[in-house]
Amino acid sequence: MNKEELIQKWLSDTLSPEESAAFEKLEDAAFIKGIVDDAAAFKASQFAAPGDYQQLKTRLSTREPAKEKIHWIRPLLRVASVVLIGFVLSYFLWPGNTTKIETNFGEQTSVSLPDESMVTLNAVSELAFNEKNWDKSRKVRLIGEAFFDVVKGSRFQVITPKGEITVLGTEFNVKQRGQFFEVSCYEGSVQVISGQRELILEVGDSFRSYGGDFSSGKNSYTTPQWTQNTSTFERVAIVEVFAELERQFGVVITLENVKADQLFTGGFSHDNLENALKSITEPLNLDYSITETNNVRVIPGEK
Amino acid sequence: MEKDLHKEVCEEHIYSSLYEKLAQGLHDFLYYKYGQGLNPNDKVQEAFIKLWENCKKVSSAKAKSFLYTVANNLMLNEIKHQKVVLKYQNQKPRSYTKESPEFLMEQDEYYKKYQEVLSRLNEEQRTAFMLNKVEGKKHEEIAQILGVTRKVVEYRIYSAFKVLRDELEGFRIK
Repeated sequence: MNKEELIQKWLSDTLSPEESAAFEKLEDAAFIKGIVDDAAAFKASQFAAPGDYQQLKTRLSTREPAKEKIHWIRPLLRVASVVLIGFVLSYFLWPGNTTKIETNFGEQTSVSLPDESMVTLNAVSELAFNEKNWDKSRKVRLIGEAFFDVVKGSRFQVITPKGEITVLGTEFNVKQRGQFFEVSCYEGSVQVISGQRELILEVGDSFRSYGGDFSSGKNSYTTPQWTQNTSTFERVAIVEVFAELERQFGVVITLENVKADQLFTGGFSHDNLENALKSITEPLNLDYSITETNNVRVIPGEK
Repeated sequence: MEKDLHKEVCEEHIYSSLYEKLAQGLHDFLYYKYGQGLNPNDKVQEAFIKLWENCKKVSSAKAKSFLYTVANNLMLNEIKHQKVVLKYQNQKPRSYTKESPEFLMEQDEYYKKYQEVLSRLNEEQRTAFMLNKVEGKKHEEIAQILGVTRKVVEYRIYSAFKVLRDELEGFRIK
């Protein structure tokens, strides 16, 4: 073992007893050890420390409204979701048991409704319904994205901040993210009411509204891809695509000098962050870099 | 079927115990990485405030990584390429030397040089080196804090050490 290897092992505290003895015999062992020992002269707590908890409490109670935003996607989504949740919560205060299910970043969950209908929730979404009232009225409120498999029966309604869906018994996907609202029908038929528009979707149809624009189209798949561990997009603004990446992986993405309303068609798998980033940035000729602690910068690529 | 996810951080006794547990380590990490000039204590408090504001969305298990991410971002926002100068305080002189005036002057020059080299180090190397050698944090914990692998942490510590050794070579007692 040469000298540098010994030093490396000493630095990482992995010397065996024999190696340790060899290290002590090095000609400049004292100098080497001195360098590490003397670092203690710079120890932070001799010069600076965090305030105590009382200081924090005072600050919490007198804080000004939020100043500089670092990224605009996250605060925007957060504000939107706080406002919507507040609005929806007040809507939900009807008597009886309101069951509420929430998912966090990178989380998906399946919920069984009282009539055995199934709902699968995507990340950062919220579902609420009244269990007691269920046989009289099958109504759920959704913020976010969910896939529904509804048992045939009385009218089943999904209420979202951007539109309402009514069915008798089918499979359909509802995606409501901020201004983006999309319903895809996979089985049976679905009535959608959004803004001034009302239409019926049959199997394979989808409807989308984004900001003020509406469009109808066809599904590319027979089941929503996010339930199969992949997120897919058809001509969706990349700011929405990156927002979904943030939700699935729990990272924070900043776009620098990138046109946020560029349209993207494609998808990414939920298994690996780097592959997912490549799947999106490469077709768009963008580049990315992951800095420490789950931050990603997206910049224009080299031509 | 109700899931009361992550409400615990909103409870004050849990939030305050998170502060007791994590504030010092977070402060020291910011201090080593960015120095005193950018007010690490202020960023620690801001990060905890953001934690409180988002207490419903963050579990107490994820609180540490949330805090470090937020605090680091707050720093990056403010950074204006300031040189990071860490203060030092002379430790006890080593036992084999005498306290002659020449010695004391040389010791002061040594620490001035040490300080200068530390400030020139790549901030990632400096942070890993200080957290391990001065704060005694294990490589695994540092890896988690920085969001990198153990091997990367070992490499950064070794790199920092090599620069210090080369630059301080002149002070070696032959």
